[in-house]
Formats: sequence, C-alpha cells, structure tokens
Amino acid sequence: MEKLVDILKKLDRRWIFLLIFLSCIIPFWFPTLFKQEFSTSKETQRVYDIIEGLDEGDAVFIDWAFNPTLQAELLPMAEQTIKQCFDNKLRVFIYYPDLTAISLGENLVANIVKEEKYSKMERGVNYIHLGYLPISIDMMIFSMYSDFKSTFGKEGKIFKGIKTFNDIKYMMSFAGSAHPEYYLLLQRRFGFKMGAGVTAVTGPDFIPYLQTGQLDGMLFGLKGAAEYENLRLKNLNVSEEEYGKEKKLNQKANAGMASLTLSHLIMFAFIGIGNFIYFYERKYKKSN
Amino acid sequence: MDLINTIIDSTILNHTFQIWMSVLFTLMMLSFLFKDNPLYKLGENTFLGISLGYGWVRSWEIVVVPFLIRPIKDAYLDFQPYDLTLILWLIMGSTMFFRFSRTKAWVANYYFAFVFAYVAGYEIPVQVQNLFVQGSNMMKPLFEQPSFFEISKWFVIIFGTFSGLMYFFFSKPHKGILGKTARVGILILMINFGASFGATVMGRIALFIGRAQVIADNYTASIVLGIIISIFLFIYFKYLQKEPKLDDEQMH
Repeated sequence: MEKLVDILKKLDRRWIFLLIFLSCIIPFWFPTLFKQEFSTSKETQRVYDIIEGLDEGDAVFIDWAFNPTLQAELLPMAEQTIKQCFDNKLRVFIYYPDLTAISLGENLVANIVKEEKYSKMERGVNYIHLGYLPISIDMMIFSMYSDFKSTFGKEGKIFKGIKTFNDIKYMMSFAGSAHPEYYLLLQRRFGFKMGAGVTAVTGPDFIPYLQTGQLDGMLFGLKGAAEYENLRLKNLNVSEEEYGKEKKLNQKANAGMASLTLSHLIMFAFIGIGNFIYFYERKYKKSN
Repeated sequence: MDLINTIIDSTILNHTFQIWMSVLFTLMMLSFLFKDNPLYKLGENTFLGISLGYGWVRSWEIVVVPFLIRPIKDAYLDFQPYDLTLILWLIMGSTMFFRFSRTKAWVANYYFAFVFAYVAGYEIPVQVQNLFVQGSNMMKPLFEQPSFFEISKWFVIIFGTFSGLMYFFFSKPHKGILGKTARVGILILMINFGASFGATVMGRIALFIGRAQVIADNYTASIVLGIIISIFLFIYFKYLQKEPKLDDEQMH
C-alpha cells in the first residue's frame, strides 16, 4: 500500500495532462460510445420561451462581447439564438463591443445564411451588424437615447420603427466578462427584457440577477449551449429527413459534452486519489 | 500586385493551410505542458503580434476613420459650428502622448480627469439604482414566496451574507456567538469559492474542448504535426538546450 501511495504521490503531473487530453479527444473519435442525455435547466428554457413568444418583426438586440478565445462555449449559443430569431422572423441587431469579435460574428451569420433554410435572410432587412463602439463609452451613448442608425452610420429597412433601446423587445448579451451587467444598468432606463449567455467561469456572478428577475434567462457555459441546441431540435416541426439534416448542423456544443463529462470524471478520480493520499499519510504518521 | 494576391490566396486564405496552421499552433501551445520550449515561445509571440496588429488595423478602420477622419473631411467641405467638437476631442485625445514625457506628463491628466468624471457621473447613479433593485428584492414578504425552496434560499442569502461579514469583523475576538457566526461565515465563503472554482475548471475544460475538437477533426494534420513537434522537442532537449537544466518545480 505504501508503495502505491508513494508512486501516486510522485506521479508526474504530465501524466494527468495526458489523461485529460485523451479524455477530451477520444469522445470525438467514438461518439456512439459516449451518448448521453441531460435535462434542460429552467434558465435555458426561459431564454427559449421568451424568444419563441415574441411577435414577428420584433427587434432582438445581440451583444456580441466575446472574441475567438471564448468561441468554444459562446459561439454555439449565439448561433442557436440567431437561428431561433430567424425561425420566428424577428429582426436581429448584432452589436460588437470587442474589435476582434466582429469577423467572428460576421462569419457565423454568413455561414447561417448559407444554409438552405435561412437563405432568404437579408442583411439590412432581417439582420444587421451594427458595428463597434469602444467599451463603456457605448453604454453612455446608448443611455443618451442615441439613434442606432446615426450612431453606427448604418442604413436599412431593419431600422423601421427601431431607434433606441426603447424599441428593443429582447436583448441577449454573450460575454465571458461582466459586460452583461452594463445592460442591466441600461435596463432600468429602457425596460427591455434581457437574457445572457455566459461562460462557466463568469456564470456564478450572474445568479443574483436571475434571482431578482433582472435577467430573464441565462445560458450557462457549454452545457447551457448544448441544452439550447437540444431545445431547438426538440421543437422543430420538420420531417425525419429534415430533422437529420438539422441535427448535423446544430450539434456543436453537444459534441463537446461527452468530453466534458469524461474529463470531469478523471478530475474527480484524481481529487479522490489526492484526498486518499492525504488522509492515509495523516493516519500513517499518527500511528508512527 | 496580382502576384501578391495569388500568393495570399494560395497560402493564408487557403482553407487547408488555415486548418494546418490552426492545428500547428494548438500543438505548439500545448507543448508547454511538457516543458517550456522555443515552439511555445514562437506560438505565444506570434499570437500576441497578430492580435495587436489585427486590433490596431481594425481600430483604425472601424473607429478612427469613421468617427474622426471622415467627419473632419466632411467638415472641411461643409463646415458647421458643432464640427469644432471633433477638433476638441482630437486635441484631448492627443494629450495622451504627453505620457511619454516625464516633465509634461501632467498635461494628459486633464483628459483622464474628464473621462473619469464622465464615467463616474454615468456609473454612480445607475449602480445605486441597481443596488436598490437587488436590495428591494430581499424585502419581499417572506411567506408569500412561491415555494419552500424560495423561502429557504432567502434565509441562506440573509444569514450567509451576515455570517460572511462577521468573519471579517475584527474589532472583537472571535469567541462565543461571534466566533460561531464567523465559523459559519467561513464555511459559506468556502462553499462559494468551491462553486466558483468548479465553474472555472469547467469553463477552462470547455475552452480546451474547442481546441481538442480541432485536433480530433483534422487527425491527419494532428498526427503529422504531432510527430514533427515531438521530434523537434526530443532533439532540442537532448542536444540543443544550452541553459542549465531546471527541475520542474523551478520551471513553473
């Protein structure tokens, strides 16, 4: 036993890195081995229901406050939100408070529009990339009831009846920082409903806002994104063949869930081993 | 010019090239987990250089040109009195360069003072409003809450916050009731830190999964580049490394 404890104690951490690496990569090669089902959280369901309940032509404002470093978690969320808005014929305004986010957002929407189902969606009619404003200055500009059209210097049919945040029906903020909090401050002034898509790192900071009802819903990390994908797929009224096609296109977050589970199991195992060694040594030292 | 465009199209804009580059840089960055090495350094510096260069060009295109240069050009053709504000902001912004001078650095303080005052003027009232919203939510009638869970949550929030604050109350020794409350406080804090840490680990793994997916989806590139990087690392650590070898503890 002592030998085993000694080996485990001196285990090079690079073996742990290797195991985590393998646990993340193997499920991608053998997806059928790691099929899993999980429930939908109340917060994700709320985001879905609110967007589903909006009327045709309502304006949804998307705050794209993340850059490619966070795309693994937030890109699938943003993709599903935009697709759901397109499904419900809502007008989508995408704003970027981060310079390096712009091409990410433009590429995503360009790819969505390439899909047959959304091929009729037009820039300036169904969606628009508002552009960039320096962070924190943007909130001051928005709070002064500045017109979107003149602030961003854009034109299009999409702006018909939409001038400021007063005309926005729902707002989704995707961020890996505290950026959605700024919109909560704007919310007092304009009264729009708001949801957030956040990374697992920043997620716990937003739970108080869910309790107060300032946030109507929240997509939390990769799991939130996967839940949202499943929700959209579950509620699609299409033929089986179409469903298969849709499933192929909308499984980006779900593809990573098996890796997330397996890597967590390995971490649990090592935490258990670490604790076992600690208590074993303490007991062993006491008895000597 | 056509030659340059052709070269760019067949290299940087070529899809296969992009995928191989993506895999190569992912593996180069991951090689740090084995040991610090020149490939990691190359990857790190390339990332920094590209990010800064890209950010600079984009901010010129997206901020400086449409918000400053173009309006100034328009003002030159058709001057309006409010166009003077553009010149004012240009001068105010340019005072930032005085930071490079030791004796004249104070000039930039006026700009900073303006920005801080402006931000504070905006932030303070709305932050106070936000605090009121948070606070008023705690003042709802307790037994009118929809479920037992909501009622128990209220108790946890109120007493958890109170006992957490008591842990940092050092004006009296932590004995008796104060000591016990502080003990509960530290437990609450530990649960909070644990939850945050767990979520952070989950988030980091999720980010790594994004990279792992790139490696898994492009296995030909991953295997070929993985072998090349392994051979390089072997040669480097065996024959080329000149610095005195540090053990792992010193390395990290």
